[in-house]
Formats: sequence, C-alpha cells, structure tokens
Amino acid sequence: MPFAQTRRDILLSAVAFAAAPAFPAWGQKAGGVTMGVITPTTGTFAYAGDLVARGASLALEMHGSSVMGNAVRLLVRDDEGKPASGVRRVQEAAISDGMRYFIGAYSSAVGLAESEVAQREKLLQFAAGGSEDFTGARCGRYTFQWSAHPYTAMRATLEHVKKTFPKKKTIYTLTADYVFGHALLKYTKIVAAELGFELVGNDNHPSGERQYTQYLTKAIAAKPDILLMNTAGADAVTAIRQFANFGTENIAVVGPWTLEVDQLAELAPEMRSGLILGQNYYPDIDTPANKEFVGAYTKKFSALPGYSSAYAYDAVRAILMAMEKANSIEVSSVIGALEQMSWEGVLGRMSIDQKTHQVIRPYFVVRCKPASDMRHPADFAELVARGEKPQPSELNECKQMPAL
Amino acid sequence: MLWLISAQLVNGIAIGMIYALMSLGLSIIKGLLNIPNFAHGALYALGAYVCYSVSSVGMPFAVGLLAAFLATGLAGLALDRLAIRPVGENGYLPQLITLFGAALIIEQLLLIGWGTVGLSYSPPLILRGAFDLGFTVLPKYIAFASIFSALVISAVWLLIERTKFGAYVRAGIERPDTTQALGIDVDLLLSGGMMLGAGLAGLAGGLALPLVGATSTMGGDMLGIAFVVLVIGGLGSLYGSVAAGVAVGVVQSLMTIAAPAASTAIIYAVMIGILLFRPQGLFGER
Repeated sequence: MPFAQTRRDILLSAVAFAAAPAFPAWGQKAGGVTMGVITPTTGTFAYAGDLVARGASLALEMHGSSVMGNAVRLLVRDDEGKPASGVRRVQEAAISDGMRYFIGAYSSAVGLAESEVAQREKLLQFAAGGSEDFTGARCGRYTFQWSAHPYTAMRATLEHVKKTFPKKKTIYTLTADYVFGHALLKYTKIVAAELGFELVGNDNHPSGERQYTQYLTKAIAAKPDILLMNTAGADAVTAIRQFANFGTENIAVVGPWTLEVDQLAELAPEMRSGLILGQNYYPDIDTPANKEFVGAYTKKFSALPGYSSAYAYDAVRAILMAMEKANSIEVSSVIGALEQMSWEGVLGRMSIDQKTHQVIRPYFVVRCKPASDMRHPADFAELVARGEKPQPSELNECKQMPAL
Repeated sequence: MLWLISAQLVNGIAIGMIYALMSLGLSIIKGLLNIPNFAHGALYALGAYVCYSVSSVGMPFAVGLLAAFLATGLAGLALDRLAIRPVGENGYLPQLITLFGAALIIEQLLLIGWGTVGLSYSPPLILRGAFDLGFTVLPKYIAFASIFSALVISAVWLLIERTKFGAYVRAGIERPDTTQALGIDVDLLLSGGMMLGAGLAGLAGGLALPLVGATSTMGGDMLGIAFVVLVIGGLGSLYGSVAAGVAVGVVQSLMTIAAPAASTAIIYAVMIGILLFRPQGLFGER
C-alpha cells in the first residue's frame, strides 16, 4: 500500500517526522539504555569497525550488560567511513531505537559530521579521530574526544626523536590533504619551532592515493634527516611500503599519528623495522585497568587489542561509570558527571578537560622491532616514550561551552 | 630544477610502464569482446594475492608472477564462459552488469580467503635498495618492474603482430564475421583473448605487490587509472594504451613538482581535455 497519498497524509507524515526527535527515548524510558556503536565495517576504515564493536561489547559484558538495574543494549551500525552515512545512522538509531549515547566515529570527518547531530538531538557522543576540531572550533557540550589532541601527539613524538637522534634537525612532511592531515601539519610547524627542528618541505597528497613514488622522489631529493608522515591508514601503509623500496636508511621515518597497532600487521617486518610511531594505545601499557582489559580481550578474542578496541572499551566504561556517579541515565546528568570525573582508564589516570571535552591522557611512542627481536607475531614494537603535554590554551579555538 | 624534472621523468616512465601493462590487458579485452571489463581491477587484485601466496611459501618471486598470470588467465576464462557468454545474446548492458557483479564477487572471495588485513611483500633481496643515478635515486624494484613490463608488452606485441594466433586475434577484432566465415573459431579466439587480457591484469597485480601490497579493494584504485589510460590511448588501439600509460605516469609524476595534491586529479583533467579535442583518443580511429 503506498504511503502519503493525499496532502493530509503528507502533512501528517511531515509532522510525525519533525516531532520524532522530541520523543526520542521510548526504549530508554522503558527501563533500558541503548548505546550505539557507529563504526565503519565497510569502506576505507573497514578494518577498524569490528574491532571497535569488540571493545564496546567487552566493556558492557564486563559490566554485566546493565547499569543500576537498567539493561544496556548495544546497537552496532555501519557508517561506511562516510560522513553522510554516519549522520544517517545516528539519526535513525536515535529516532527508531531510542539511542541516547554513542561511540563514534573512528574517522574525524565522520565524527565531526555526527557531532552536529549530537548537539542538535542532545546525544552523548564519545569520539575518536585526529582532528583538533572536536575540542576546538567545533567543540560541543555533547561531544567528548577520547583520542589524544594532535598537539600532544606531535609533541610526544618529536620530543622522543630529538632525544634519540640529537643530530637529526631537518624534517620533510608528507601530509594527507584533509582535516586530519592539516591539523597534524599545523602542529608540526608549532612543535618543530618549539623543539628546534627545521622544516625543509611538505607535499600534500589526496586521500586514497596509491602512488607515492613521485612524492618520495621529491622528498628524498631535499635530503631531510626525517620524513614525517602526517598521514594515516591505508595511505600511510602504502607510502611506507614504497619508501622501503628506496632503501634510504639515513632518513628516519617518523609517524606522529600514522599507524596504530591495529595496522602494523599490514607491513612486512623489514618495512616497519625502525619506524618511530606515535600511538594512542599500545597493549603493553602497564596499568592495572589495561592488564585487566588485555587479559579479558585476549581470552575472548584470542588476539591482542589495539587502539580501535581500547577506545571503544574505555569510552563505554567511562560512560557507564559516569551513569553510576550521576545515579541517572539521563544524558544531561551523565555529561555533568563525566565533566567532573577522573577514572583509572586503560591509559592510567584519565579525566576530562571541562572547557574543551578533551580527555586528558598520555600519548605513547613506539619503535618498531626487527623480525629477529619479535617474541610473537604481534610483538611489533617496544614502548620507548610517553608524553602528555596538552595543547597550549592560547591555541585552542573552543569558545565557551553552551549550557545543557 | 632541471634535475628534479629529470628525476620525476625517470619515476614517471617507470610507473607508467606498470600502468601500460595493466591497460594493455584491458585494451585486448575491449578490442576482442567490445566490452569494458569492469572485473579487470578485481583480476588485478586476485593476481596480487596469488603472487603473495605462492611467493610467501618460499617459491621464487618469478614463480609467483607466473602463478598470478596463469590463475587470473583461468579466472578470465571462467568469466568468459560463466558470466559473459550466458548473457551475451541479451546485449551490451547485461554483460556490463554481470562483469560488475563478478568484480564484487571476486572482491568478497578475496576477503573471505585472505581476510581484511592488507598484506605486504618485500621484493627479492637482489631487487631491494636503489640505484644512485647522481641526480636522483631509483628503487631497483621500480626499475625492474618497468623493464619487466616493457618486455612483457614487447612479447605481447610479437605474439599479436608476428604469429598466426596474433593475426587471427587482429582479424577477430577488426572483422569478426569475416573471420568466422573463413573457418576460424572466433569463440575460441575470444576465450584466448580473454585469458590473455585477464592474465596480464593478474601479472600487473603481482608486479605491483611489493609497491602497493595486496588488499581486496586495490583493484578499484587501479581500474580508474587503467580506464583513463584506455580512453587517452584510444579505445580501438591496442598500443595506444601503452603510450598513454607512460604518458599518464609522466604527467602524474611531473605534476608533483608544481601541485602535489593535484597529481592524481591532473590525469582525469588530461582525459577530459583529450575527449573534448580528440574524442577517439590519441591513437584511436573514428
């Protein structure tokens, strides 16, 4: 039977659609909590989607799948790594399933688009991604950022490089030409000036580029001491593969936010050996909460966790703890509790910057091992440094957070 | 500046030869069957995976390349018999859609067989490192890949231009009805051409393995470039795709000097420009 055949039907449909957000939490009010995991299970970041869902489901399972007597239901939706799809999935889940909390997205571009919906529909979003806009120009009361700020990442990574290679002074950057890469390049310039590095060149490459030898030929011609990869994901994997073919051992390859542990398996050991990489998470982090997490994860999934799983695990855990602290499952109360909260997370003692909603957390640096030093197939690297210097407040563009 | 231009020229020619190899297979299939093979990218990916699997169990890389050629050649034959022929009588569009579907099926099979994590393979020891040309460094593997591509393209040229099989193929491309009337089994010819074209896609995938790795979606990335090369070279020209492949590699590489972020976009701009002023492509005929 066709819908909305008459003008009256059309008007009624429009009214119902417009009014739906005003009656969002039927499922929630019935005594349950629906928590969304809006994550890419297809597309460029497909490798991360299932891992994010694993982390979220484990956190929930370890919490007894309930909070204060309310059953918690996990809703996994595919954002395809595309902003438009992410926005649709969030809206559908909020309207149809009463979702008031969600973990997402893995990609900055998707997460920032979803953040607009979160502010409008008053949904609590715990995001990941490398864009500074989450806690900067596009900050919002309903969005929290679990991943480190790009300044923190860049500072931790280059501080280690300066300490380990005091004679290396010149940097050539290869930058992904979108919001994530631009943020990293901005902070490369700032941190390089702070630490006394000289930038001798930069090339922006389009997202999804699969041919890097022309950029690498140009970079090598500039004879830098360091090739800094301000790019990530499959782009970074391909660029590093092709750089390995040049056999240029006197140029150190450094990735401040380039490859998380989830993707290191994509490179052959001889390609990744010696890489210096910043990490949001690494399974060797020595904290009680992380040991518990790694133990439970390994037992359940027969694999070590990476950044994607750790982010979702810790974010879900923090939301559940905030609900208990607030003694409420209402979003506004939970946000108030989160803003005041400090918890033992997988990375150590963690808290939230009330002014920006950036999680205050350390960032880690690893050096990839040669095959001969690997104790098991997933023993990719050793932790060599950590840093937690936050973004200088004068650089932050988040105006006053709006009232709830 | 001159040395930087020279360096990018060397890189562009080397990369362009790999593009040319990929596009030559596409051009053969287009010429013989008169359809753009939308599954060509998936065959390229299949070739990379086969080459990886054979090489990573200790077989020489050359055996991996041969296996990639043979396996994708057989996959091409299967496509011809199971996907293209059964819908052939219904016209052009069903063939296109069937090939598109076949590409999706191959990609999913790659995911099921090899997983979602991309695979890397380092070239043999003798091909690691780079040649110092004074004004630039050229990775040994890229030099090898471009020379190897040139040899394969030459061998295909000899096969098509200097053998009886090649004469039949050319006849089949230009006058299929007359060729059939002369008692030549055009069906068999088409299957042979499909196997050759598909095999070249797989060989290109194997050759690209140390440069781009193996992922199930890698075919889509390369297919776009291969079609650009095909259009620039001219849809009716087997060898136009070779010249166009090298030209695309060079333009892409040189563009990095002036506007790096546009180095991929420029090849599409060039294609649009050529379509506007010479719709049949550089070497095609009206």
